[in-house]
Amino acid sequence: MAESTIEKKSGRKEKAPRSRLEKRNTLLGMLFISPWIIGFIAFTLYPMVMSLFYSFTEYHARRASEWVGLQNYIAMFHDDLYWTSLGNTLYMVVISVPVLLFFSFVCAVLLNLKIKGQSLYRVIYFLPSIVPTVASTLLWLWMLNPQTGMVNSALSVFGIDGPNWFQDPYWSKPALILLGLWGVGGTIIIYLSGLQDVPTALLEAAELDGANWFQRLRHITMPMVSPITLFNLITGVIAMFQYFSQAYVFGAAASTSENALGAPLSSTLFYSVYLYQRGISYLDIGVASAMAWVLFFIILGCTFLLLKVSDKFTYYAG
Amino acid sequence: MRGDVMTTIIENQQNAVTTSASEKAWRRRKKRKDLLKEIGGHVLVFVVGLFFLIPFLWMVSTSLKVDQDVFRNPPTWIPRANATVNIDGEDYNLYDVVINGETRQLAYLERSGSDGVFIDPAEPEMEILAPMADATEVLEVNFAWENYPNALNRSTRTGLGVNFMTYFKNSLIISIFAVIGTLLSCAPVAYAFARIKFPGRDGFFLLVLSTMMLPFQVTMIPMYLLFNETLGWGDTFLPLIIPCFFANAYDVFLLRQFFRTIPEEMCDAARVDGASEFAIFSKIVLPLSVPVLATIAVFTFLWAWNDFLGPLLFLTSPQNFTMALGLQDFQGQHIVSWNLLMAASVLFTVPIIIAFFFAQKTFIQGIKLTGSKE
Repeated sequence: MAESTIEKKSGRKEKAPRSRLEKRNTLLGMLFISPWIIGFIAFTLYPMVMSLFYSFTEYHARRASEWVGLQNYIAMFHDDLYWTSLGNTLYMVVISVPVLLFFSFVCAVLLNLKIKGQSLYRVIYFLPSIVPTVASTLLWLWMLNPQTGMVNSALSVFGIDGPNWFQDPYWSKPALILLGLWGVGGTIIIYLSGLQDVPTALLEAAELDGANWFQRLRHITMPMVSPITLFNLITGVIAMFQYFSQAYVFGAAASTSENALGAPLSSTLFYSVYLYQRGISYLDIGVASAMAWVLFFIILGCTFLLLKVSDKFTYYAG
Repeated sequence: MRGDVMTTIIENQQNAVTTSASEKAWRRRKKRKDLLKEIGGHVLVFVVGLFFLIPFLWMVSTSLKVDQDVFRNPPTWIPRANATVNIDGEDYNLYDVVINGETRQLAYLERSGSDGVFIDPAEPEMEILAPMADATEVLEVNFAWENYPNALNRSTRTGLGVNFMTYFKNSLIISIFAVIGTLLSCAPVAYAFARIKFPGRDGFFLLVLSTMMLPFQVTMIPMYLLFNETLGWGDTFLPLIIPCFFANAYDVFLLRQFFRTIPEEMCDAARVDGASEFAIFSKIVLPLSVPVLATIAVFTFLWAWNDFLGPLLFLTSPQNFTMALGLQDFQGQHIVSWNLLMAASVLFTVPIIIAFFFAQKTFIQGIKLTGSKE
């Protein structure tokens, strides 16, 4: 706006004031965004470059001492624990993420029913998701305690001998999924706002045409919220590849010695947990950096793949 | 299909007009159906709601139990403790003891083999010997509120003089500085992207957005080395606070989107009046953005309060632990005091719950905008 008026009025003299304004704006703009620029260089660009560099070097005695080429990557791919951690993570991505999405969708549908007292129910469904991660993880460790926990006590009322949960390598991941289900409040809210945006005219028209409640849900509501499903799916997958805190607390509770992450029997050794162990606990900087870069490309690949195949099941009303 | 439905509706309407009796019946049926639907809905929402509610209540219930009450099997909801009786200035636990088919309430003195030594509070002189198998404790409802101060004051690492109060304070300091830093740094950056036209702005903005894609793991190790070895900030709050003062992509994006909704004319008018860019930013744009700034403040606090990996990386001595780290550390020592641990967890959660009830709208809005709670 300001630029164009100057151009029109001053005619031949336009060059000088415009460049002065541009100069002023450049200076101002740079000044205003300088916090981000400094932060970007110091806390993003520099660590990225260093991380890439470390992944090709042998790190010894507090400095990167030797260029080793692809050695770290090769060592990583020959490490059985690496594959265990990747497998555990994929288990969670493939099973936990869809289960979480489905459950939060069902909850959102329930909270969208036209019944009284929904605002109270919404608070109840949402509250667990704001409990700090470590607190909720400890709570579930207590709930799922094989001997004295309330879950197994409740199961024993029905004559079911409850599993050992986080102490059993087969049940530790389902226990983590249970913990995840408890904290889906945020996803529920995103779904709920999507459900409220589904035009009632569409639903009423379908009702007139004789579609029952389930058919309306399946053929109108679900396609209408599919962009939200895609969004939740992508953010869920990205978060699951970086899954750390809950697994760390679980592993520490199940292990008998200190620093034994991933207990029991490496069943909660997820990608980020193993990366932490290699990089920070063992100071195996080279291999851990290589792991980080491979993780980055796995996440990029998955996001790209999901966006590609999403065309088939996503419907954009807009 | 559609025609059929329409005709039935028309028929219904005609019937309704002609016979008021069948209309009443139809209305009753509809009313009953609606009521059934409503009840069914309530049952479903309530049953699923139990899944969210029970663990929460269990946390509070456990936090109010005395040590002996924690591991009772089957578990009980209402915290209870032994009923006591005071005899000659000393408290004794009460037991229901069956003697010769008659139940008497006696005070328990000590054990002798498989028998217990009891006395009747009414006549304390006489000792009564009865098998422990015939005695059951008398329990009364008792909320152990003292667990809360005890949890805060209990030493969590032997000999270091640290407790949950220390951790709580550390968490508070870090979270408050994180909020201040985020607000101070993100606002001007977002303003420049929204309102100042400078060459390369769009390119820079794209770069900001692209950093959102980067997983923390990629920068984690060099950051660890930078802060701990190069800068010597290991075991201080600085690595957790300082980066907050240099803007982050999420909040810059959020603020920029909001700033763009403020009418440009307002800023132009001020510019014509000779206001500096900084004056426009601080006197016009910021006051209009209080709601979104509040959202960012709440969410930054939540994130910093909740953060586990950051403190785990940089804080090594228990004096500097945050609440998240301290709780995990306490549990990791395998000291089984679930009541104190749950009391500490409740205390850890309370600030968030208070924030939630004060700023419910902000919370919900923030989740819709950022798509996450963390």
